[in-house]
Amino acid sequence: MKQKKLMKTATPYLFILPWIIGFLVFTIGPLIFSLIMSFFDWPLTADPTFRGFGNYIEMFTKDKQFFKSLTISLKYAAIFVPLNMIIALFLAMLITQPVKGVKIFRTIYYIPTVISGVAVSILWGWILNGDYGVLNYLLSLIGIEGPKWLVDPAWAILAVIIASAFGVGSMMLIFYTDIKNIPIDVYEAASIDGASPARQFFSITLPIITPTILFNLITSIISSFQQVTLVMLLTGGGPLKSTYFYGLYTYNNAFKHHKLGYASANAWVMFIIILFLTALVFKSSSAWVFYETEAGGAGKKKKGGKKS
Amino acid sequence: MKKRLVSILILAMAGTMIFSGCGGGGGEDDGKTSDGKAKIRFATWDEAEDVDTQQAMVDRFNEEHDDIEVTLEAYGGEFDTKIAAGMGSKDAPDVMYMWNYPAYANGLEELDSYIDKEGADYKENFYETLWNYNSLDGKTYGIPVGFTTHALFYNREIFKEAGIAEPTNDWTWDDLIKAAKTITEKCEGKKGFSFQMKPDPYDFEMYLWSNGTAYCDDEGNLDGNLNSKEAKEVFQMFQDMEEEGYAVATEKSGGDEFRAGSTGMYIYGSWAIDSLNEAEMNWGVVKIPSFAGKGPSASILSSSGLSISKDSKNKEAAWEFVKYWTSEELNTERIGSEQPVLYSVVEAEKMMEKPEYAPFYEMLEQSGDYTPASFKVERWSELAESLSLTFEEVFNPSSMADVSDSLDTAADQ
Repeated sequence: MKQKKLMKTATPYLFILPWIIGFLVFTIGPLIFSLIMSFFDWPLTADPTFRGFGNYIEMFTKDKQFFKSLTISLKYAAIFVPLNMIIALFLAMLITQPVKGVKIFRTIYYIPTVISGVAVSILWGWILNGDYGVLNYLLSLIGIEGPKWLVDPAWAILAVIIASAFGVGSMMLIFYTDIKNIPIDVYEAASIDGASPARQFFSITLPIITPTILFNLITSIISSFQQVTLVMLLTGGGPLKSTYFYGLYTYNNAFKHHKLGYASANAWVMFIIILFLTALVFKSSSAWVFYETEAGGAGKKKKGGKKS
Repeated sequence: MKKRLVSILILAMAGTMIFSGCGGGGGEDDGKTSDGKAKIRFATWDEAEDVDTQQAMVDRFNEEHDDIEVTLEAYGGEFDTKIAAGMGSKDAPDVMYMWNYPAYANGLEELDSYIDKEGADYKENFYETLWNYNSLDGKTYGIPVGFTTHALFYNREIFKEAGIAEPTNDWTWDDLIKAAKTITEKCEGKKGFSFQMKPDPYDFEMYLWSNGTAYCDDEGNLDGNLNSKEAKEVFQMFQDMEEEGYAVATEKSGGDEFRAGSTGMYIYGSWAIDSLNEAEMNWGVVKIPSFAGKGPSASILSSSGLSISKDSKNKEAAWEFVKYWTSEELNTERIGSEQPVLYSVVEAEKMMEKPEYAPFYEMLEQSGDYTPASFKVERWSELAESLSLTFEEVFNPSSMADVSDSLDTAADQ
């Protein structure tokens, strides 16, 4: 009897067992291991020695680059996240329009997402080159002398932001599917009432997709902190370390300077920062995210109130 | 609720058991294939067609040896990461390409006893300078496979257009500066010379050597070396060339600008040869200019060797393969992608009579007395990162930092 009951409760877990194993072995395992490593001086080819909180203390007290890289990453996230979301939403609005050949546009906007980060970096390296890059050539046609994007520290971070906005496609697609799900009659009713397209966007589309905005906001905050490929290949952290992102800093500590313990400590600090930011976003979400189920409930009550 | 927790725990434990079970099975590796051959994993950093060529060479080795089976693992651009991770987990390939000995020597097998067994002639057939670059603290960790020194490439068409004589092997920097000025003045939109805005500190030390100094002394002290008068002269000379407008500091190696015909000269390794020939350019190459009143110029060596992992289970078989890979036969076959490192092959193939290769061997011969700072300084990779920033501050047109101050600051760390 007891056994049967146990089987019954265990069955669903058996079904997700493959995933659980993967999670334990490939995510939780390395995660815990890296936490352990972060308390060691862990050179690559010699034996590790325990140093307690030494790595963390060094990071916060001695290593100037830690704060510099953290600032750069925060700056990047602060510009990139909103910009990327606005572009994604704008494109998503465009590809929901009933235009001829919209499928072609949809594909065109999505293609950059499929290209590997390495190829994107090389491509943008050519586009942004100060002397013979395409971008500066185009700017010169309208009489603007473009900056040396990858040489001038003042412009380099913007160059990286432009290049990373290239991969906006997947976020656009998520917005697109959500917008497509909004029933057409809501818009019809609104336009009968004389609402302009802009009014429709701000009063119907935007509130309905707030859960998706929340999702995209969180994932793009996380991915912006993890940005490594692009800076590694496009700028190498330069010019003058102006794009030496926190991710690159961590990577170089691990695989260039072979300080695996220190790099693990770096990674854990980043993890905590991301955790904190995500928690902050979630906390704030009750003020601006609008779930349909709640909305439905509230609306009904109102109607009911009027009738009685 | 409690029940659920229990079942999750049971499953988690089951999961871990499966995992550790796998680990146990895989750990019983005795380095043999199922049919009893010695298994050798060989890691290369090459890519694309080069890997195909190497695979063919590996296949031939496997055919000739019925007791050894070599598998080629092409790590490409991720080479360092993978070797680093492999050594960290005691799972490094048995045989691997190697250049950064100071960083990896701890994980590599000392090869001196193997070399001694081959007799004196074996060691003497390699260019002597190369042994310095394949050893650390007097112990040899790699057998030389290839190398390049740096030399001065120049565009013949541009020299013709400017109406001046082409560079020669006995040029000094003053000659180069004069020619660069003339080119910049006479050829519209062209610059005489280019150098890297963010030079690799490892490479850049050669100019300091040529001017009679280095980054550090044998004990690794920077002060009085990196900021010596001679070192400052070198940096000042490059910065002046850039500031006065007849040289350009390039974002990358300068190869793109040179191939596009927008610069007349640049200094680079023999890697450039193939792409220059492909671009069908009319180019020439000579030795790096020397500093007036100083000895012959020196060049940094970018060398590649073949190393055996300390943890390899089949070291004898690995050595057998290393010998094959560094043999005369393969040195000869690799010409075009890799310059031979054996005196006998250089002679047989008349490398010194080929104008595009000779300068690199001449630079090799006159650069034997120098040891790069990376072999002397313990934490080179971190020093290199900070030096790289200093150099960039000096050469980046948006900062153009004062040479003397920057080097004094850099030496004070």
